[in-house]
Amino acid sequence: MNAMQGLLDGFQIAFSLEGIMFVLIGVAAGTLIGMLPGLGPITAIAIMIPMLYGMDPTLAMVLMAGVYYGAVFGGSTASILLNAPGISGTVATAFDGYPMAQQGKAGQALAIAAISSFTGGTVSIVLLMLFAPALASVAVSFGPVEYFALMFMGLAAISSLSEGSTMKALISGVLGLMAVTVGIDAQTGTPRFTFGNANLLEGIDFLVVALGLFAIAEVAFLIKNRNDDSLAKTQNIGSLKLTKKDFKEMRGPLIRHSPLGFIMGVLPGAGATVSSFISYITEKRFAKKPDEFGKGSIKGLVAPETSNNAATSGAFVPLLSLGIPGSGTTAVMLGALLVLGINPGPLLFQDHPDVFWGVVASMYVGNLFLLVLNLPLIPYIAKILKIPRPLLISLVVMFCIIGVYSISFNVFDLYLLLIFGVIGYLFRIYSFPAPPFILAFVLGGMMEQSLRQALTISNGDFIIFLESPIAIGLFAVSILSFAFPFFKNRRVKKAR
Amino acid sequence: MLKSADRKISVVLIALAIGYLILSYQLPPYEFVPVDSDLMPKALGYLLIALAVGLFFTGKSDADEDKKEESTTSKSETPALLAVTAMVLAYILLLEVLGFVIVTVLFVFFCSWFLGYKKFKVNATVSILFPVILYYIFNYLLQIRLPAGILPF
Amino acid sequence: MRKLIFLSLLVIVMIVAAACGDGEQASDEEEGEFTPEESIEIVAPAGAGGGWDTTARSAAQVFDEEGIIDQDIGVVNKEGGGGSVAWSYINSQEGSPYNLFVSSPPLIFVPLNGQTELTYEDFTPIANVIADYAAFAVKEDAKWDNLNELFDDMKEDPSSITVVGASSPGSMDHMQFVKIAKEAGVDVTKIKYVSNQEGGALTDLLNGSVDVYSTGVAETVEQVKADKIKVLGVTSPERLEGDVLETFPTAKEQGIDATFVNWRGFFGPPDMDESAISYYEEKFKELSDSEAFADIRSKYGWSEQFIGHKEYKEFLAEQTEELTSLMEELGLAE
Repeated sequence: MNAMQGLLDGFQIAFSLEGIMFVLIGVAAGTLIGMLPGLGPITAIAIMIPMLYGMDPTLAMVLMAGVYYGAVFGGSTASILLNAPGISGTVATAFDGYPMAQQGKAGQALAIAAISSFTGGTVSIVLLMLFAPALASVAVSFGPVEYFALMFMGLAAISSLSEGSTMKALISGVLGLMAVTVGIDAQTGTPRFTFGNANLLEGIDFLVVALGLFAIAEVAFLIKNRNDDSLAKTQNIGSLKLTKKDFKEMRGPLIRHSPLGFIMGVLPGAGATVSSFISYITEKRFAKKPDEFGKGSIKGLVAPETSNNAATSGAFVPLLSLGIPGSGTTAVMLGALLVLGINPGPLLFQDHPDVFWGVVASMYVGNLFLLVLNLPLIPYIAKILKIPRPLLISLVVMFCIIGVYSISFNVFDLYLLLIFGVIGYLFRIYSFPAPPFILAFVLGGMMEQSLRQALTISNGDFIIFLESPIAIGLFAVSILSFAFPFFKNRRVKKAR
Repeated sequence: MLKSADRKISVVLIALAIGYLILSYQLPPYEFVPVDSDLMPKALGYLLIALAVGLFFTGKSDADEDKKEESTTSKSETPALLAVTAMVLAYILLLEVLGFVIVTVLFVFFCSWFLGYKKFKVNATVSILFPVILYYIFNYLLQIRLPAGILPF
Repeated sequence: MRKLIFLSLLVIVMIVAAACGDGEQASDEEEGEFTPEESIEIVAPAGAGGGWDTTARSAAQVFDEEGIIDQDIGVVNKEGGGGSVAWSYINSQEGSPYNLFVSSPPLIFVPLNGQTELTYEDFTPIANVIADYAAFAVKEDAKWDNLNELFDDMKEDPSSITVVGASSPGSMDHMQFVKIAKEAGVDVTKIKYVSNQEGGALTDLLNGSVDVYSTGVAETVEQVKADKIKVLGVTSPERLEGDVLETFPTAKEQGIDATFVNWRGFFGPPDMDESAISYYEEKFKELSDSEAFADIRSKYGWSEQFIGHKEYKEFLAEQTEELTSLMEELGLAE
């Protein structure tokens, strides 16, 4: 069966009444789940599995996929409005999205996020459709050596996330790396820094750190400044309209991060979270005005928001073409496919082309739905900011607590949330940037583990890192990105 | 004075790094891997010390920024912050004891009231409606069980 | 007001979503001495989506849909400490007939690793329902065609072969390989094992970073069908059923007299009442015999292995003893 025919069949499924209904339910439920801080697509899909029993496999996949990319789409809302990331993939969205909302441009920020999500999602579906079988080999091309190089590249850019003192950014990053060493070490089974507390054995959950460092710390800040009238304009939602200039700003990152996010999504283990961070820092690294990042830069919002949605479609490549789940969410989907009587594996594409094409076609429809549903709702959703501040503060705390509780059902994590809230608050008081901490936390664990996996494989010989062309390429980019700002500075100075 | 804030932090960080290093050196060895679980923590510990020492001596360049942040800190708000922290702590402590609905209603109502929200009716409506609806959505529609506590449903 | 409308819209969407999967209820009178009078909680000691969660949710679903148990059954996820957070919670519910949990070999590994004080003896084993087995896979074009060839090479040059699994050393994927390799005469302290917990273990095998993949049988089937990997041996006592599964040679038939079972069963808190134990034992037997559960088993590639309360205790004692000596040899037991 050729691709065109497959896609046509797929659209037939996607445009059937049932198809449209399931896409709609999926993306609507996904958006909501994404908006609620903490509650993410993994939990939602795992809970849906018993309900899927006996359903048509294609429609069930359409539904689950809708929940997944719907959640990534919706996750940006809470990040932008409340600094409380809805899902882990939208933490980086808050870096510039929240400052924009603070400047009274909430409507604009949400519109930009929606357009970026839509673009990232749609472009990556085209890539998925055209290259899925071919990309299967890309998905397996990354071993421990390459992952180490990739994570190293991300961490090398930490200093670029500073908003003042590079020293403070580096300290923040090192603290993030330290936080991620808590828990059982995967390579040896040794518990590290757990103080004999069973609650710490599995390490600290990423969302606990993110919600604490960003949302709770922000709440504390709002309480501190609650009588400060200069904050009044944050209640403005601003116009939804984007100017020509805005679109011009958006064009570059949209073009760059759709494919970048997609490729990162294809790599098992990287996924939406890692891709959004890598996109953010590369965009900042090579930006003409890196100083604007973190202060409401449009580029800084577009990059992660395009990337995480593109990565979501990318994650379907290893799942549908190889039967390898590249992320937590796709792992749960793999389980769901089993329940539906479909064995996900390299033969899925051959045996059940309808599933593949049905999902792909539904994703076009779903992304369009998301855009059409979300854009008109933005003025209403943004009204959240009109809620009187005292009430808003209490509700944000409540949502953070439900969110964290529904991840682990463990009260201990709530105390951790509070502790990271305090840390985040102290960071702000003493002007330590929080983004390096969270970036190091995301990339650090995988960097350490892949480093040590590689060294176990090579019996301790470091030469293994120079035997992979991909790794060498990534190391070269790290060095280049490290050197780039220096060159630029010199040029700027000369010009002066 | 401002410079000393950074210096104090750097001392705290060095203390933290030393504590972390002591724990790192106590990690039990595992013989079957070339690089053990202690390498990364030790490296991080020393790196943090080095950076903290660096901060101690370079604190000056950040002084301007600190000034800006510091000036907005109105000392009178510290009690409010502590009070809200205490409320959140109580919320967490009682969550599984009294159940989600009761504690959340109390927290949202009193926290909003404490922070200066005076419209009692709206406050009461919101603080009752939100937790109840959320509890219903989570427990019955999403099948995610939030703690019921002393309420029978 | 607009907010309210919006909110009620959300609720409607949620209801529609949930209604699509509503199961019907049937009733069944129970004659036993113990009948549950409040809702029953089954704890999955991990987050949503894992093996424990899947087992617990599918059991709860069959109990409900087949009308085996009338009471409302809720699955509760309690994550943390590789299960130990949930275990101490259940342990504190002494005597309660309404708090069950699902467990598997980590209930033996985690205490042996010294990460919890609790062992299976601190709970009431009710019934085992599922057996899952391990498979050791290599790339399709690997030079080994059976376990003995692999193990011979490992004896000769252990540093040239790397094994990958998803769990850390001293837990399932590692110990299942160690157990079989030891029986074959490999020096188990020389086995190179790396753990890939980010879902990349199979990828590492496919791209040649590692040589052997230690995993569950179900994970290998589709890859074998597509000629990407081959399974050198499985750890079941006899050949498994199923058109691909039955082609996998067991370790036993290759002359290696060892098996490893990833059992999965249900436990209650300590000091459960005898009548409650026999009630649940009977119910789990009914579950295990039901067609609906057989269907779920075959979909996930699990085997049936019902073990009742008394025999389950003996079974667990045996398993613990075997694994203890193995882990002591590796210096992993505390």
